[in-house]
Amino acid sequence: MIGNDIIDLSLAKTESNWQRRGFLEKQFTANEQQLILAATNSFILVWRFWSMKEAAYKVFAQQNEIRFFAPKKFDCLLISEKEGLVFYKDQRFYTSSIVTQNYIFTLASFEKSTKVYSKFVMPCVIDLMIKIKLEDVTTFSAIEIEQKKSKNGAPLYYYKGTQLARSCSISHHGNYGVFSLLYY
Amino acid sequence: MTRKELITSLQKIVKPYVQDQEAFKSLSEETDFINDLKINSANLIDVILDVEDEFDIEIDNESMEKMLSVKSALDIIETKLADS
Repeated sequence: MIGNDIIDLSLAKTESNWQRRGFLEKQFTANEQQLILAATNSFILVWRFWSMKEAAYKVFAQQNEIRFFAPKKFDCLLISEKEGLVFYKDQRFYTSSIVTQNYIFTLASFEKSTKVYSKFVMPCVIDLMIKIKLEDVTTFSAIEIEQKKSKNGAPLYYYKGTQLARSCSISHHGNYGVFSLLYY
Repeated sequence: MTRKELITSLQKIVKPYVQDQEAFKSLSEETDFINDLKINSANLIDVILDVEDEFDIEIDNESMEKMLSVKSALDIIETKLADS
């Protein structure tokens, strides 16, 4: 299972005010809050942690077919500029983040070295681009590939009843869109 | 406060964060904040903080976990108001 998340940083700046009273306390652990407040760029760390939590939640929700909202319970640990770990109950998720001036992208999975294909695309063509990619990989015609949603809203792709990717995750925010595929 | 009055207050709170205005027009108890109104999950925190301010209640973590729909939000607000 995989889960991804993308954040358009210029939109995040206007959509949310991380300095709002209660904002950090509601979603970040005491340790995360400390790191955020001590960071040179607190804004970036807020959203890196957030994208790690969101991506890990997507993995867990897909696996367990449930939905809930408990960002604070997804405990983030930073390993390097890119790598991180997220803990939730007895589960551990590996995360890999790309942080630029414009966006933050995080991919989370249960295994450390999952071979995942991720591609950045315009938000309005994500579904089409996934079908085209799956056509490349499977040789089934993109027109005949259909998207279905799992119980908790995760996208799944099928060709005549056959599921084409083990796991798929989609994220879009502002000007940025991305999809990630874990093949069989 | 009646259930109807609560819905009206909640509607005012969520309005600035709604990304699907059509879904907002037909808002009912069954409306889902994320799937229907397309509120982004970071803004769900703002909804929760706004609800706390508006009703002068505290939404604990356990209640927050279920705050995904209008119905669950109303249930939580009603319970908290009854306790306060």
